[in-house]
Parts: sequence; structure tokens; C-alpha cells
Amino acid sequence: MNRDDILTVVRKHLAGVLDGVEAASIDPARSMKDYGANSLDIVEVVSASMRELRLKVPRSELSKLTNMDGLVDLLHKVATEKSATP
Amino acid sequence: MTALVRLSHDDGVAVVELCDGRQNALGEAMVMELRARLEEAHHDETCKVIVVCGALEVFCSGAPRELLARLTTGDILPSDIALASALLDVPVPTIAAMEGHATGGGLALGLCADIVLLARESRYGATFMNMGFTPGMGMTRLLEHVLSPAVAHELLYTGELRRGADLEGRGVNHVLPRADVRARAIDIARRIAEKPRSALELLKHTLAAPRRAAFAASRLDEERMHTLSFADRATRARIEAEYIEES
Repeated sequence: MNRDDILTVVRKHLAGVLDGVEAASIDPARSMKDYGANSLDIVEVVSASMRELRLKVPRSELSKLTNMDGLVDLLHKVATEKSATP
Repeated sequence: MTALVRLSHDDGVAVVELCDGRQNALGEAMVMELRARLEEAHHDETCKVIVVCGALEVFCSGAPRELLARLTTGDILPSDIALASALLDVPVPTIAAMEGHATGGGLALGLCADIVLLARESRYGATFMNMGFTPGMGMTRLLEHVLSPAVAHELLYTGELRRGADLEGRGVNHVLPRADVRARAIDIARRIAEKPRSALELLKHTLAAPRRAAFAASRLDEERMHTLSFADRATRARIEAEYIEES
């Protein structure tokens, strides 16, 4: 799983909770809040993404993130660690 | 000390507003104030109806993290959170104007009202199981009393935060744009306030009986499940990891 795959999943779930936003047009340097997602929309987008990617990050770590790039990096790091574990 | 709960009166309509300026979590001080304001409201004999509301962003986030932690250590018992009954036992009709998010015990609180209004954009969830413990505050029965049992059970199992818009037509009274929720609740309250208090009390006693019975029926089972699920050592870590802390 590469970083772009993860970004695609996050974009898809964010577009799913927003009205009239194209997944491909979402800029990962921005925060989901910038696109109008409220705090619990974000909780659902992140958990739906983790479910699809079969990754698990404690919510306490997620709360430090400020934009989607940060989320994608964190998920990518966890995915890499997971695939390295025999 | 600033008030955590405000009470205002206007022509028979009492408005009880959770206003801690944060997440309106049900900590001990909040619960005490909420109970006191509810009592104060209906002890006033001119009061015909009570509207319970929170902030535009958040109605009520349920039990705070510290309180959940104390439940895992056995410091306090879940039954100590005697809030739901305080709203259920109000002798006049109650309306929950849930403009903002409501999760866990916060959603249970709203479902204790006779008339429930949600916002399309806000999210509502029975989040208990996400943190590894079974639902409380009557949620095992209150949710299916309002929504259908099928939908209620799905929400209880999954802990999903569902958008108000997705709950439209599922058993709640109104699902409206966030900005319109409070005005509609007040409008409903004004209609109710035109009626005599004694007749309202009689009707409330009868109409709310099934809801009170549903809540009463939940207590024994929920306490039994809580004793077991809070005693599980994994629950404490799960609360730490999964509790939704808002920015």
C-alpha cells in the first residue's frame, strides 16, 4: 500500500460526507475543517478510512494532526510497520 | 463561578441550556446543575413545558473521560449518574432541541425528552461500545423506544456517529437545518404552553409511561453489564485510546 492509495481512500470518505466536493479536488495540505467537515464528521471519515485500510491508530494520536497530509503520513507509517512485521 | 446550565422563562416556556462553553460533558457539577435547573423550572407553577438545549456545535458529549476512568476503577458506580430519571420524571412535557452533536449519555439525555429535534448536519451516536463498555443511561431501551429496534440495535453495536439527516423519518419528531432547530422547538413549546398545566401534567403522566417503563426496564441489565464490562482490564486502556477529545 503506497501513500497515494491511502490518500485516495481518505479523499473518498471525506467527499462522501460533504456535499458537492469532488474527491480528486481535495487538497491534502488543508484540514478537513476547511472543507466544511465538523468535528464528528472527521471522526467518521478517519474511522471509515482506517476500516477500509485495515489499520488502527488510537484516537489520542490522531488528535495531534492538523491537516490531511499529516493523517496520510501517519497511516502510511503504520501500514509500513504493519507490513514489515512477519 | 459561571453557570454550566442556564434557565430562562418566557410565558410558560422554560429553556434549560447546557452552556459550559466546551463539550457540555456530563461531569458531576454539570449533572448537579442540570438537575437543579430542571427542578427549579417545573417547580415554578407557571411553567408549562421545558425545552432542553445545548450549544449550536454540541448538545452534549456524555460522560467525561475522568468519570469513565473512575468507573473502571470502581471508585463510583454507573448508577450514580442519576440524570436520565431527572428528565424523565419532569411532570410537564419536555422538548430536546439537539442542534449540536450528541454522543453516548448525551444522546440518552435527549432521548428522555417527550419531543426530540435533531439537526441535519450534526451527528448522533451511541458511542459506548467504541470504548469497550456496554451502553448505559437507559440507552439499551431508550434508543429503540424512539427509533425502530432494528436501527437502534445497529447504532448500539456499531457506535456509529450518524448524521441527523440520515435519521430523518426514523422516529424523531423533526430533523432540520441546525440554525432552525431551536426556533422550531420554541414554536412547539409555545403551542403546548397555551394549554392548562394540570391537563398537561395528566397527559404527560400517561404518554410518558412507556418511556419511563423502558428506562426502568433497562436499569438492572445495564448495571449488570456495566459491572462486568467496566471491570475488564482492557476497558481502561480502550477508553484512553478511543475517547473523542474535541479540539
